[in-house]
Amino acid sequence: MRFPSSLSLLFLALLVVGVVGLAGSGVSEAQAQVAREEQKTSIQITGYQLTPEVLMPNDLGTVTVTVKNAELAKSVNIKEARLLSKELKVASDSYFNIGRLGHGESLDLTFTLKATACPDGIYYPRVLVKGEDAQNIRYSFPVRVDSTLLTLAVKDVPEDIFKGERARIELAVGNPRPNTATGVKITAVAERREEAEEEEKGGEGVAGGEELVPSEVFVGALSRDETKTASFNFTPQTNGTRLLNFKLEFKNGENLHSAELSLPLKVTESKKKPELVLTGIEVEPSASGSGIYNYKITGDINNAGLEDANGVVMKIGDAEGVEATHPYKSYFVGLLSPDDFSSFELDVKVSEDRENEGEGTKVPLRIEYKDEDGFLFSKTEYIAIERQQGQRTGSSGVGVGELPLSVVVVLLFVVAVVVGLIAYSWKKR
Amino acid sequence: MEVLTNPNRFFEAKAKGEREEKGGGEGKGGGEGEWGRGKREPSLKIPALIVLTSGLVGGISLFLMAGVTFEMLRKSQTLPQEALGVVSAVGGVGAFVGAVVSSFVIWVVAAALFFAVSCLFKGEGKFKRTLEFVGYGYIPTIFSGLVSAVLVYNFVSTTQIPVVTNVADPAEIQKALAPLLTSPLLRLSSAVGILFMLWSANIWIFGLKHARNLSTRDAVLTVAIPVAIYILVLLLRNPSSLGV
Repeated sequence: MRFPSSLSLLFLALLVVGVVGLAGSGVSEAQAQVAREEQKTSIQITGYQLTPEVLMPNDLGTVTVTVKNAELAKSVNIKEARLLSKELKVASDSYFNIGRLGHGESLDLTFTLKATACPDGIYYPRVLVKGEDAQNIRYSFPVRVDSTLLTLAVKDVPEDIFKGERARIELAVGNPRPNTATGVKITAVAERREEAEEEEKGGEGVAGGEELVPSEVFVGALSRDETKTASFNFTPQTNGTRLLNFKLEFKNGENLHSAELSLPLKVTESKKKPELVLTGIEVEPSASGSGIYNYKITGDINNAGLEDANGVVMKIGDAEGVEATHPYKSYFVGLLSPDDFSSFELDVKVSEDRENEGEGTKVPLRIEYKDEDGFLFSKTEYIAIERQQGQRTGSSGVGVGELPLSVVVVLLFVVAVVVGLIAYSWKKR
Repeated sequence: MEVLTNPNRFFEAKAKGEREEKGGGEGKGGGEGEWGRGKREPSLKIPALIVLTSGLVGGISLFLMAGVTFEMLRKSQTLPQEALGVVSAVGGVGAFVGAVVSSFVIWVVAAALFFAVSCLFKGEGKFKRTLEFVGYGYIPTIFSGLVSAVLVYNFVSTTQIPVVTNVADPAEIQKALAPLLTSPLLRLSSAVGILFMLWSANIWIFGLKHARNLSTRDAVLTVAIPVAIYILVLLLRNPSSLGV
């Protein structure tokens, strides 16, 4: 019975050896697998940078991924790098045969993305990097698309806006976006609505200059949730409803965006502004030459308003056949306080052709003054000149003055009486 | 009134009455002699009064026209207000005095002229008689002065007085006044003046006829020659006087 026992022991030994052998071969395979995995993870994507940080619909942006060779002693050959996305459009080509990346070295790979026709949300495009020996890596990162625009709002506007007076309009531009907007600027344009009153001929108006000053305000960069203020001076030249259009422009990365703000304003006549009124106008003929008539226009200019009129100057306006002459081509009145008046005189030369037109000549009389801010205002009044008795019509020297009918009748009677008496005296001789 | 309607009879009667008076004096005075009886001096009281009235009435027009000049001075602002007041007052009175004085001077000069011209036609009679009868011929100038005064007033009250910047420059004043002087009313006034001058001349003809014992033809020539020259000079100096 000793033999079977020996066999049993041998079998057991072989079994142990076999098992141990089998066990030994299994450990080395696992070790190889681990080594291969270590080789795969030697390419790493250590970070990414998205510009702009948040895209707007149709924006073009860039993403820069940093690829690093995490190998301690061995370089890695990178064959290909590509960006993949279903929702966003990849607007740049993939990288092929990039080359070897030394151990511990990094490489930035930049891709272009376009948020074409995609709603607001967060999207995850993937970067695929292929290395040698089937070393591939996929890396997803979030891209946010937000269509929120910068806001432009009226911060302060005067309650009443008067024609010819400067009104300060303050606008607030805010950034509700999650990223910084750059190159923010506001452009202003004043439009005249159809129902706005046309400037009447001979009416009053601001002389020259834009109505909105400045026409553009540059705000610069605007961080998230930041607000900045822009001010405009509006000096309307006409009454009625005016529409001020403000255009806000900004950049999201390299993408230009704009927003608009329309501000309707009702412009009325000022209740306090200087109101210059001409009274006591007298037109007197002075020395006349052949075909030329000289007149001296005198009168009073009164300030019926409630504010001072500074630097008041009276001038002869531009008109055909009318020319200002010395000694008073223009007349400086100066400061005219409310309820104050000043006399003035102007010399004007009117040509004969002009005189013969219609019933008389209208000489434009231009009144200029400045408000307390130095804004120049002008107003034109027309003075009718009728040729007076005693003035010649021209070189012919034939009178045109009309004699009263009664005078003519009386004179004819007197002539008849005198002639009759003379005749009678000779008859009775 | 007869001097206007029938000057021939008026002056004839005046001359005849004097002759009758001369005859009456002969009866009354008896021994006064030829000189004392027939040579009663012609009375100049009424003619002088007529000439004075004519001068005063003519002064109205001059006064009104002087007002135009003062207004021009006022507008030129070359004289101070006080000086302007003095000038206006002196000028106004001066216009009247000048008109009266010139009336008397012209009266005497015209009578002398007629007297001298009538001498060519062998006229007889004293200068004083001629002076008296020429004075009566001033009656139409009173009416002429009134009509002119109305016309000039009408002109002054409606016309625009030109402004002359340099009153010291006569050329500029003349230039400024030139349009005024061609005013229809002023021209009409001149025309009326000439018409009444012809009326006066008519009276002077009969006056001279009896004052200088001239024939009607000689009397007409005596008066017509100086008057025609005067009117001619007037028209040549101001051709538009009749251009109404």
